[in-house]
Amino acid sequence: MKKVIVGNHAVSLGVKLARVEVVSAYPITPQTQVVEMLSEMCASGELAARFIKVESEHSAMAACCGASAAGTRTFTASSSQGLALMHEMLHWAGNGRHPVVMANINRAMGPGWNVWTDQNDSLSQRDTGWIQLYCETNQEVLDTTIQAFKLAEAVDLPVMVILDAFYLSHTSEPVEIPDQDLVDEFLPRREARLKLDTSDPRSFGSLVRPEDYMEMRWDQQQAMTTALRMYEEIDADWKILTGRRWGAIEPYRMDDAELVLVTSGTVTSTAREVIDQRREDGEMIGLLKVKMFRPFPSAAIRRALRGVDRVAVLDRNVSPGHSGIFAEEIRAALYDVPPDDRPWLHGYVLGLGGRDVTPATIEEIIERAWAVDTPPREDLWVGLKT
Amino acid sequence: MPRAPYVEPLVSVSRGSTRQNRTGSWKYIRPLYRDAVAPCNRACPAGVDIEGYMNLLREGRLDDALDLLLRENPMPAITGRVCHHPCEVGCNRREYDQAVTVHSVERALGDESLSRPHPAPPPRLHSERVAIVGAGPAGLACAYHLARLGYGVTVYDEAAEAGGLLRQGIPGYRLPREVLDRQIERIASMGVDIRTGVRLAGEKAQAELEGYDAVFYATGAHKGKPMRVEGEDGPGIVAGLEFLKAVNRGERPEIGRRVAIIGGGNTAMDCARTALRFGAEPVVVYRRTRDEMPAIPQEVDEALREGVEFVFLAAPSGFRWEDGRLVEMHVTRMELGEPDDSGRRRPVPIDDDGYTIPVDTVLTAIGEDTELEALPWSLPEKWGSIIVDDFGLAGAERVFAGGDVAGEERTVADALGSGKRAAMGIDRLFRGGDDGGRPAEVTDLRWGGDGQVSMSRWRGDDPVRRTNPTNQVVDIEGLQLAHFRREPSHQERHRHDAVDFSEVNLGIDMEQAIAEARRCFNCGVCNDCELCLILCPDVAIVRREGGGFEVDLDHCKGCGVCAEECPRGAIIMTREGL
Repeated sequence: MKKVIVGNHAVSLGVKLARVEVVSAYPITPQTQVVEMLSEMCASGELAARFIKVESEHSAMAACCGASAAGTRTFTASSSQGLALMHEMLHWAGNGRHPVVMANINRAMGPGWNVWTDQNDSLSQRDTGWIQLYCETNQEVLDTTIQAFKLAEAVDLPVMVILDAFYLSHTSEPVEIPDQDLVDEFLPRREARLKLDTSDPRSFGSLVRPEDYMEMRWDQQQAMTTALRMYEEIDADWKILTGRRWGAIEPYRMDDAELVLVTSGTVTSTAREVIDQRREDGEMIGLLKVKMFRPFPSAAIRRALRGVDRVAVLDRNVSPGHSGIFAEEIRAALYDVPPDDRPWLHGYVLGLGGRDVTPATIEEIIERAWAVDTPPREDLWVGLKT
Repeated sequence: MPRAPYVEPLVSVSRGSTRQNRTGSWKYIRPLYRDAVAPCNRACPAGVDIEGYMNLLREGRLDDALDLLLRENPMPAITGRVCHHPCEVGCNRREYDQAVTVHSVERALGDESLSRPHPAPPPRLHSERVAIVGAGPAGLACAYHLARLGYGVTVYDEAAEAGGLLRQGIPGYRLPREVLDRQIERIASMGVDIRTGVRLAGEKAQAELEGYDAVFYATGAHKGKPMRVEGEDGPGIVAGLEFLKAVNRGERPEIGRRVAIIGGGNTAMDCARTALRFGAEPVVVYRRTRDEMPAIPQEVDEALREGVEFVFLAAPSGFRWEDGRLVEMHVTRMELGEPDDSGRRRPVPIDDDGYTIPVDTVLTAIGEDTELEALPWSLPEKWGSIIVDDFGLAGAERVFAGGDVAGEERTVADALGSGKRAAMGIDRLFRGGDDGGRPAEVTDLRWGGDGQVSMSRWRGDDPVRRTNPTNQVVDIEGLQLAHFRREPSHQERHRHDAVDFSEVNLGIDMEQAIAEARRCFNCGVCNDCELCLILCPDVAIVRREGGGFEVDLDHCKGCGVCAEECPRGAIIMTREGL
């Protein structure tokens, strides 16, 4: 069934189809609609889940960790400052290997107080042990939400499904809603490998000495590596059932491309339009969309970009004092490409705090990328007022 | 799966539970389970363990609830109907939504006890014999408790039938005769010898009572107080209690159509509603206002509903007769002045302001006096009441007194309490008070230290309060109201089809009584609600064998969550090492 829905409700419907058992969340713009709809579903009985009310995001994630440890399928959603407040508990979910799924609506961090989109909130949580999946459309949001539970539970790692504030969260798009039977086949009830058992009380996450701690991080690292491959399998299964797959990365019109733009989130859609136009004009230009940020699909990105002349990475985020964060990661990934095949990498920082990224912005980037003969030493900021 | 058999994530999970970490050493305060006293128990003049039987009834333990009620109150089917239930005024729930309707639950239990065969008489354990003069509520209560304690008891009453004011003063539409008869029968069946139609006074009394080891005097107060108005002894002016007595003997006194009742207590209400039932048009004349009326509010409501008229702030000041027949009562208007000793504002006459009311009969119901001159002994008295000590002992050796003849609060419940108190006093006289570990201090016997005495405490076998019992009364501040749902009380059904002498109030049924018992907060006493067990963040609350809970002090960190969250104030925090 196709419905025209906002991205926030695509999340809620995905969570419902996943037959989540526990939801605990604290409201924050622009995430509120996600949990409003879920709380109504819980209240009406449409969703047989326990909605745990809390006084902060930190408690929300703590409740999720506990519920997940008890063996339930668990969900939360947050944004920006709320996500930042969760930080300690994000580590707890990651290192504790609780397969919680969270939707994070990308919203710029204050101050200056701002409710519009950029990616700094989720990217600041890069090292908390969460898988991160960035979405471009509301259909991808719904599909990814369902996939996220399968992935999380397969490798015992938490997954963050990420979508742009307002461009997706509050914008209506047609979305194909899969049948419950189909989702049930794809995502059976969670079988927790380790769970709290009141008849055999044990402490989860207690003190670990130096002689054991490192192995746990290694196991987590292995699980991340597994998640890379596992996502492709899950995505393939999803395609069999729905005809749709999304990929950890998606190369677009990259055949013989001399210049490739690398994007994530809704900037991708805008870039697709410009690339289509320029391809028609005969320009050798392509696009690489990065969906999965953790685990980082370095090998796939290397394979995709090897031999390309120039790569322009568009970052709706910045690591102050360094560069755009995707650019930095891709630069590191490309280091292993032999120098002759290694593309020049241009980093562009744009669209922070919800500033509009228009086709003209993309055009400007492409013009600048073609114009420079040596790779720039620093990222360029696009659209700054002079 | 792309990865070698994936069993489970490598995470830190303890081999055993955290119980090996004895976090109890961190605390400096610790929770203490204690069973305290609910305000209803303290307020009950009969010393009934109200909270206790509510607790048992809540669990559906009907037999145990009845046992607990009957160990303190010999006649719940009666008090459930006629008591002024100060328990409901004391009820903490009153400040939350509506008080538990204790009297209706008590009545349901009382009726249940009367519907069962009378139990076997209690064993006669002791040789001593006690005489009781007066078979009203006080005398019958004393007899009942003494019989249960194992004594031989004989009750004397000058009336033809036992019951005292219950029979003579209270109309049948409030207290049906069959309930009264059955309740008295139940007491007689315990081996209590009730001798009616015997007036014991003067030397005859001394001779008759000499053969007993102790005497309890409960002869009541029967003489209507004078109004101190000129002409009050004239024709047509009758003591209300005498009128009720005549009606309750089966007579139908001639009162005419216009009947004025002077007073605002229960006797006044009984007179007015009885007069109404004889076709009269009664007017209650009260010198204060409705707010100050000592009558049970529900009785006033019923009187109003039935059509009794009320004149407030008026007092009789004269009468007029024509041809020897009363025709008019003159009343003076009153206003309320400063509060008197009772806390009620004193009525003050407004000079030269009055009017007349046409009357055929005036019934006075402003209280009754005792008749101490009939006593065989001279006993110390004050304002017509025999002075007694904490155990009901009057000024002479082995002579005890109770009920209206020795009481300031002249109610059925107070009479029952005084009878119980004297039974303990008599038991103490014979057994020295330390038999079976009887408490020596009367305050230890009294609910909350200053309420009525408790037979459970006298016998030392309270089945409800077993954990660190304390006499502290838990008020509403001591409760955690967030855990209670608002729920209206279960209301009694009233019969409104006819105004006659069959019972008006039909009470509630047992199912409703159990539901009402579930509304009880069980103030101060653990009722196994399990909230502490659920909320303790350290899983340091454990079930105790035989019911209730205890604290695992090896693991309790002293956070105080249990004490804070206990809905009924049955847990307090105490300092370590004390």
